[in-house]
Amino acid sequence: MTVLPTPDASGRRVIIDPITRIEGHLRIEINVDDRNVIRNAVSVGTMWRGLENILKDRDPRDAWAFAQRVCGVCTGIHALASLRSVEDALAIKIPENANLIRNIMTLTLYAQDHLVHFYHLHALDWVDVVSALRADPAATSTLAQSISSWPKSSPGYFKDIQARIAKFVGSGQLGPFRNGYWGHPGYKLPAEANLMAVAHYLEALEFQREMVKIHTVFGGKNPHPHWVVGGVPSAINVHNTGAVGAINMERLNLVVEIARRTQEFITQVYVPDLLTIASFYKDWVQWGGGLSSMNLMSYGEFPGRANDTSNDNMGMPRGAIIGGDLSRIHEVDLKDPSHIQEFVDHSWYKYPDEGKGLHPFDGITECDFRLGPAGKIDKDFLTQVDETAKYSYVKAPRFKGEAMEVGPLARLVIGYAAGRADIRQLVDGALKKLDVPLSALFSTLGRTAARGLEAQWAADRLVTTVNDLIANIRNGDINTCATEKWEPSSWPATAKGAGYCEAPRGALGHWVVIKDGRIANYQCVVPTTWNASPRDAKGKIGTYEAALMGTPMADPSRPLEVLRTIHSFDPCLACATHLYGPDGEPIVDVKVV
Amino acid sequence: MGYQRLPDDGDLPPQRIFDWPCRAWHWINALLVVVLIVSGYLIGTPLPSSSGDTSSLYVMGWLRFAHLASGQLFALGFLFRVYWAFNGNQYSWQLFLPTFWKKSWTDGFWAQIKWNLLLLKLAPRYVGLNPVANVIMLVLFVLPSLLTILTGFAMLAEVTGHDSWQYFCFGWMVSIFGNTLDLHLLHRLCLWALVCFTMSHIYIAIREDAVGRQTMVSTMLSGIRQYRR
Amino acid sequence: MSILTRSKRVITTAEVMESRGINRREFLGFCSMMAVMLGLGPEGSGKIAQAMEVKPRVPVLWLHGLECTCCSESFIRSSHPQASDVILSMISLDYDDTLMAAAGDQAEAIVDEIIRDYKGNYILAVEGNVPLAHDGWNCIVGGRPFKSRLQETARHAKAIIAWGTCAAFGCVQAARPNPTQATPISQLVEHVPVINVPGCPPIAEVMTGILTYMLTFDRLPDLDRQRRPKMFYGQRIHDKCYRRAHFDAGQFVESWDDEGARQGYCLYKLGCRGPTTYNACSTIGWNDGVSFPIKSGAPCMGCSEEGFWDRGPFYERLQGMQQFGIESNADMVGKAAAVGIGAAVGAHMAVSVAKKALQGRKDNASDEGNPS
Repeated sequence: MTVLPTPDASGRRVIIDPITRIEGHLRIEINVDDRNVIRNAVSVGTMWRGLENILKDRDPRDAWAFAQRVCGVCTGIHALASLRSVEDALAIKIPENANLIRNIMTLTLYAQDHLVHFYHLHALDWVDVVSALRADPAATSTLAQSISSWPKSSPGYFKDIQARIAKFVGSGQLGPFRNGYWGHPGYKLPAEANLMAVAHYLEALEFQREMVKIHTVFGGKNPHPHWVVGGVPSAINVHNTGAVGAINMERLNLVVEIARRTQEFITQVYVPDLLTIASFYKDWVQWGGGLSSMNLMSYGEFPGRANDTSNDNMGMPRGAIIGGDLSRIHEVDLKDPSHIQEFVDHSWYKYPDEGKGLHPFDGITECDFRLGPAGKIDKDFLTQVDETAKYSYVKAPRFKGEAMEVGPLARLVIGYAAGRADIRQLVDGALKKLDVPLSALFSTLGRTAARGLEAQWAADRLVTTVNDLIANIRNGDINTCATEKWEPSSWPATAKGAGYCEAPRGALGHWVVIKDGRIANYQCVVPTTWNASPRDAKGKIGTYEAALMGTPMADPSRPLEVLRTIHSFDPCLACATHLYGPDGEPIVDVKVV
Repeated sequence: MGYQRLPDDGDLPPQRIFDWPCRAWHWINALLVVVLIVSGYLIGTPLPSSSGDTSSLYVMGWLRFAHLASGQLFALGFLFRVYWAFNGNQYSWQLFLPTFWKKSWTDGFWAQIKWNLLLLKLAPRYVGLNPVANVIMLVLFVLPSLLTILTGFAMLAEVTGHDSWQYFCFGWMVSIFGNTLDLHLLHRLCLWALVCFTMSHIYIAIREDAVGRQTMVSTMLSGIRQYRR
Repeated sequence: MSILTRSKRVITTAEVMESRGINRREFLGFCSMMAVMLGLGPEGSGKIAQAMEVKPRVPVLWLHGLECTCCSESFIRSSHPQASDVILSMISLDYDDTLMAAAGDQAEAIVDEIIRDYKGNYILAVEGNVPLAHDGWNCIVGGRPFKSRLQETARHAKAIIAWGTCAAFGCVQAARPNPTQATPISQLVEHVPVINVPGCPPIAEVMTGILTYMLTFDRLPDLDRQRRPKMFYGQRIHDKCYRRAHFDAGQFVESWDDEGARQGYCLYKLGCRGPTTYNACSTIGWNDGVSFPIKSGAPCMGCSEEGFWDRGPFYERLQGMQQFGIESNADMVGKAAAVGIGAAVGAHMAVSVAKKALQGRKDNASDEGNPS
């Protein structure tokens, strides 16, 4: 087991605010030693919205819509966690079709979100757009054709793309590429690889909007498709009059077609690009690992059969790894008060009894924005936070007292450790191609690669799940929603439930307490709360903080290395910092009927 | 003039109170209110789904037609009634303006309350509206009617669009509330206020006829009020 | 690289094309293609050509306050024009936290540069809103409260586009009890026109449509009383809903997944907000027109309307009136009042009849006692 270095704040302080190309607002403060190696890292969530408090006293059937607005990037997944928590509380059993359609929605999200992350939020950390101007289109074509059979690879095509970039750059108005770290010594790709990546940046931007049409078919729109407690809103009618007003053959064909093209794009563009780029940055298997070689967690996702949360039924298994012991997978129980707890000793919230963690069912939060002695505000400018005191709007969640890393890497490693054949094959294949050992996964590069491999897994499974849906309809099952427990009169006076999910960014849980048909308490602990976590009562550093430690920087004033590692987590800060209710009464245990 | 309590004792000659436009308005209005309440209720809470050929069915369509048509007549009637308050006889403005600042009015108000609480043996007799009826009409009829007309036209402006005269005249209602769902809520509450008014109005009128000492229902038909001892 | 140093004199798009060997004829061909793409017809082509010859691309600063980034995500879903064309050819998206390459100091420097070089000539696009509670420290960007950043950039903007219901009306974080005092943009900005583009999120093509309208016609769109562009927010979803015929016929989905749902009947009884929602969902549709919530069987939530979060429950036609107790609405309150009055009338009638009977007996008794 690796041991994390102790933070040393004696060196030069460098502040990066805002961290861009993420969702929401994040600030990173680091201390570098005289060789520009990061010796201390501080992750500061800088926004707070208050959704859980707003959810109070609402109709639990409306909760998904509020919860979904936690995040518009991983759109839909919070709605699903919310539905599952309410359905768990009220013991609602959803139809098989609903389960399949929800899986299709989530798989689509995985593929699309990972794709957008790789090309539009992360790629510019590895790809020098300006260098693409020097590329030889013919050589680029040769490169592209050597790694993939993707048809858009002719020299003429790359020449056109290059001309387009040249025109753009030549205008002197660089738009989103303005002030980028172009020419930074950290960029290692040959010009041709850069040109190919820029071409695919544009293609992916076009294609991602095709992928989400699956959400539009079943949920009416994207971002923020519609859902419903008890199933899915879209009815199925494939045989009869009026089918044009429901999910019919034409709609299913559209989904089949997009699923197929998604698989094609990810297999022929995303994964080859990823492996090609990775092969030039193999030095990045040394840095950014942080907690990944120690503590990883997943709640499990993609139940094969409806209403069965057993681990065998999950496409991505549930579990936790502690201390890097891959031979032992710990069970994770969202309702066990000793498993998941949140601390606020270093968060801008207050507990009556600080130093103690609280399970989400008993969660409290009251905004308490104040800085420690070393923190400074100059008029309306926050110069520096003090990590020895409160310093972030993100709480510090801990699993059995440990900070955990969640996300695609955690899922793949847990799946790998659990001996899932599909995951082993996927991971081993990529490791072999890059000629690196399994331990290479525990790094910035490994995290980025895991996301791409998972996108491949999701796209493959998307195709089969769509087939499963059609097969189920062919077997005569067209139910999409269970309505027996729709009316509040059919509910118990009090109930509480937990909704698990694996969001693209990692383990996501929603906890709901329902009293007299209304929400009495609502709590979310989201992936970025785990990853962007500040220190806890015992001073254990958070996941981002751990990952940044020890990374050498070429030029701390152009913090490309920090962006690489932070982006490898795909941060989503609106998720992490939405708020927890101000009323903190421990909720008396109630029987779930 | 207008409100006047009559002596408790002795025979009183019949009085002409409601002129014919007033009476005509009353009965037309009564009919419109019934149509509006029924159709309005069914628009907000529709009948069970109809089955059959969509192109030949027009259930909601007719309900909305009935509601919108009678609503606009109701508004015209209301306008007319306001006009008639100034141009009708001496009793015609009572509906809109209780003379609560006059002692005779407050005395009459308390007397009528006592009578309604069955504390008086002899029913008070009036020319025109009695003070309690006056208040009920203002609170449960005139104000809800006004609000219902305003919200109704503001909602009609939604149908006719931003370039319509309805939006020009009533669009400010939308700005007040922001979300036009509030207009529907207010409109619905007015519906229930009118239901409550109709119930109490009919009961009190019939009761006065039966046990009071002055005619009510027939007065609204003939315009002439007869008094008993 | 010299090409990257910001030149004081901004080069027009036409000049760029010329320097890249694109001749006049090809340039005009490009303009007419753009005109067709924008649906402007043949006369539009000249306008575009002129715009490109004389104007540098308009700088856009796209700020993020309290939000969920769904507006940005929607924007990149635009199919006509494609988001990449908007970003690369129509505007100069110089600052956008979600897409920009630069971070930290390099990102913050851009804001100052744009304000300095394009005073009064840039568009400020705002996604999300401003928390005023806790002195504005609930949203910190570049070390400063978002409030200061907004006011500083708004002051010199040519116009402000408030993307989404957050920026336009407050949206979810402003829902009861609004713990951060989230405040819409138009309430914090003076002297600069604000265009509200509500929706959670707005439709992608509506977003790009409004931007390209401003660039093409060089004017702000006509706005309604709530500062929404009339062209996209002038009509209700209900007015143009393809299920409207079922509404008029009285054919409704009574409960989820019933026969009506499978027939695509009207979702009014499941609380559809189409009749009170101004948006283009039922016409333009979502994601290249593939569907919109009603078409997928989900009642409209009214996400582009002010305060829609506090007008629930979403699956009831009548909004809740929690002040009268949980699960209350206007009908329940009204029925309770009517029943109350009915009961009072009944009781009153019973008591008067009883009293009358008693009185009658007494009168009869006294009559008998005093024969005349």
